[in-house]
Amino acid sequence: MRRLWPLLLLLGSAAVQAHIASNGFLVAKVQGQEITGSLELAVRDVELAIGVDANHDGRVTWGELRASQPQLRQYVGQHLRFLAQDGACTVNLGALQVNDRVDGSYAWLPLSAHCPSAVTRLSIRYSLMADIDPSHRGLLSLSAGKVAQTGVLGGATTPDFEVYAPSAWRTAVDYLQAGIWHIWSGIDHLLFLLSLLLPAVLIRRGRRWEPVLEARPAVFSILKVVTAFTLAHSITLTLAALNVVRLPSRLTESVIAASIIVAALNNVFPVVTDSRARIAFAFGLLHGFGFASVLADMGLPSGARLLSLLSFNLGIETGQLAVVLGVMPVVYALRASLVYRRAVLPWGSAAIAVVALVWLLQRALPPVV
Amino acid sequence: MGRVALALLSLVAPLTMVWAAPYLPANDTQVLAELPAGARHASLATREITRTRLDIALPLAQFYIARARATGDLRFLGYAEAILAPWMNRSSVPTPVLVLHATMLQSRHLFNASLSELDRALAQNPADAQAWLTRATVLRVLGRYAEANAACGHLAAAADPAITTLCVQGLNGLTGRLPGAYAAIMALPQQALPPEARAWRYSELGEMAERLGDDRAAEHWLRAGLAVAPDDFYMRAACADVLLRQQRPAAALQLLSGYESMEPMLLRIAIAQRMLHDTAGAHSDELLSNAFTVEQQRGDAVHRREQARFLLDVSWQPAAALAAAQQNWQVQREPDDLLILLRAAQAAHAPKAGEPAREFLRVNRLQDIRLAPFGATP
Repeated sequence: MRRLWPLLLLLGSAAVQAHIASNGFLVAKVQGQEITGSLELAVRDVELAIGVDANHDGRVTWGELRASQPQLRQYVGQHLRFLAQDGACTVNLGALQVNDRVDGSYAWLPLSAHCPSAVTRLSIRYSLMADIDPSHRGLLSLSAGKVAQTGVLGGATTPDFEVYAPSAWRTAVDYLQAGIWHIWSGIDHLLFLLSLLLPAVLIRRGRRWEPVLEARPAVFSILKVVTAFTLAHSITLTLAALNVVRLPSRLTESVIAASIIVAALNNVFPVVTDSRARIAFAFGLLHGFGFASVLADMGLPSGARLLSLLSFNLGIETGQLAVVLGVMPVVYALRASLVYRRAVLPWGSAAIAVVALVWLLQRALPPVV
Repeated sequence: MGRVALALLSLVAPLTMVWAAPYLPANDTQVLAELPAGARHASLATREITRTRLDIALPLAQFYIARARATGDLRFLGYAEAILAPWMNRSSVPTPVLVLHATMLQSRHLFNASLSELDRALAQNPADAQAWLTRATVLRVLGRYAEANAACGHLAAAADPAITTLCVQGLNGLTGRLPGAYAAIMALPQQALPPEARAWRYSELGEMAERLGDDRAAEHWLRAGLAVAPDDFYMRAACADVLLRQQRPAAALQLLSGYESMEPMLLRIAIAQRMLHDTAGAHSDELLSNAFTVEQQRGDAVHRREQARFLLDVSWQPAAALAAAQQNWQVQREPDDLLILLRAAQAAHAPKAGEPAREFLRVNRLQDIRLAPFGATP
């Protein structure tokens, strides 16, 4: 008997749901005059509000919920409004999905809202389920920049939310940090740079690598590569951040991975040996789009677009410079050793190429489900 | 090369998966929700009629409150509230609407709001037996025994004498006259009682036996009560507690099987699973802590007592348990609330925090053998 019970319980536990009061979950992220986020309503509540169970069998299927999408959008549109300090925001709802929570399945709608100007005070009019279940509440998690707050919507009160409006100095520091952080955590950019820097302390003579004799040509070569890379990615970062040019992120990310393979293989089987700065420039253009996608995730605060773009770019250069200053003395010191020329350069580059190949496959192929 | 890359890929891929993200169901036939009776869109048509027809509004609101009590599903209280709302907004609110509204508030543990609603009802109709009975129940939960006793006194004129006896003796059992009250309720002939009072009698007897320290009798009474009223989740939880105290977690699980969706039941299940070192306990713990978190964010206090006990007996966070037990003490003062406050205070090495419970016990001469180990004796 004692052994039987846990087993029986386990069988039932798939269907176990803890009853909690009716809640909707609203996530809103404010970036300047844009709001992005999602709304979740329990499927059970959606049924009660708009009638989803088309065949009246007491069960709501995904097919039935999907078929009711237009009514659901209309219902949400009527009962959820964002009011910024100077007027209403226009709300757009994305494609319906499902989210499983402990108390059952929820209809999940991505949402975006466009407000008249940068949001400093936000009032959310939430009357979903109000006439059907007055105890329904919207649990809000609202964030702006690094500041997050929670709130309870619905019921008698409509709270206003102060939205964090950072100072110009704070914005500059935030974006500078983000830039540095991105280049350090974005290991793909580092590996690309490393592939170009490893041979900078050597000269290709015939079929052999020989160390440069003086520091001057090495420094000059590095300077050329880094400047070309910087110039190129700054151009495309600016163009993309200001929405002049746009590339699909899967394409950029894939080509960035490919660029690392090319740069690394060029060290193993040298083709271009005297003008790596050109490779750095050509591929730097693509890396710029990669930086821009990070910036797009963060958003450029309206009113401080140029400042934040500049700070972010400066952050990237700072992070990059720190890497160069750290790596260069080491490779310069090692340049004459056989280990460096015969092992570190070719095999290190080969390893980089393999890692980049994995990224390429990951990014270019459709996701494995 | 390709194989190596794929092997590497399979190592990296799981890291990028996000847990519990929204998804597109693969199949149109996937069932997302089972709809309980009364929770379908079609029922809104009936609800519309209740705006003008009191004879339909009252039984429907009552049905929803009963569903909430039987299933622990708090949404039903919201549906009841929605039906009562148009009537509550009228300039003169019918007395039965006020009483049902008070009952709904009581189920949400909004005891003071419930009392003021009952005051309104009794001002309109001082002879409303249901209002007096609900008032007695709410005051008893609040530990205001003298006022509760006065409310019981008003029942004599309107209700079955057995109801008055249960009301009065139940309070006597909490105020220094436990053995006599136990005998008096036992003497009530079960067969002669009105049906709704039968479960009540068993539940009083079960609780009294517990406080007298006779767990075997307590189990007997509570099981007998559950045979009469299987939906009474209060008795079921009490019975599970008796079993857990006797170190019989398997029996507790058996008793609670099928009631996992109710937080008070799930709490006892989690405790039993912990005693059995059952791995399914982790799932129960997660469900409970999630539900408590959401309740906290909403500002609800419905399950504060359960939360305190969860923090003490399942997740072992004595300081947090004490804080929850203290908050709970501000809401309700039944013997179980004293017990959790005293236990949490002892576990948190803050005996002073249990002083309000000891003081309460001295003032009311409450007799409960479970409280004795905490220096709480009348």
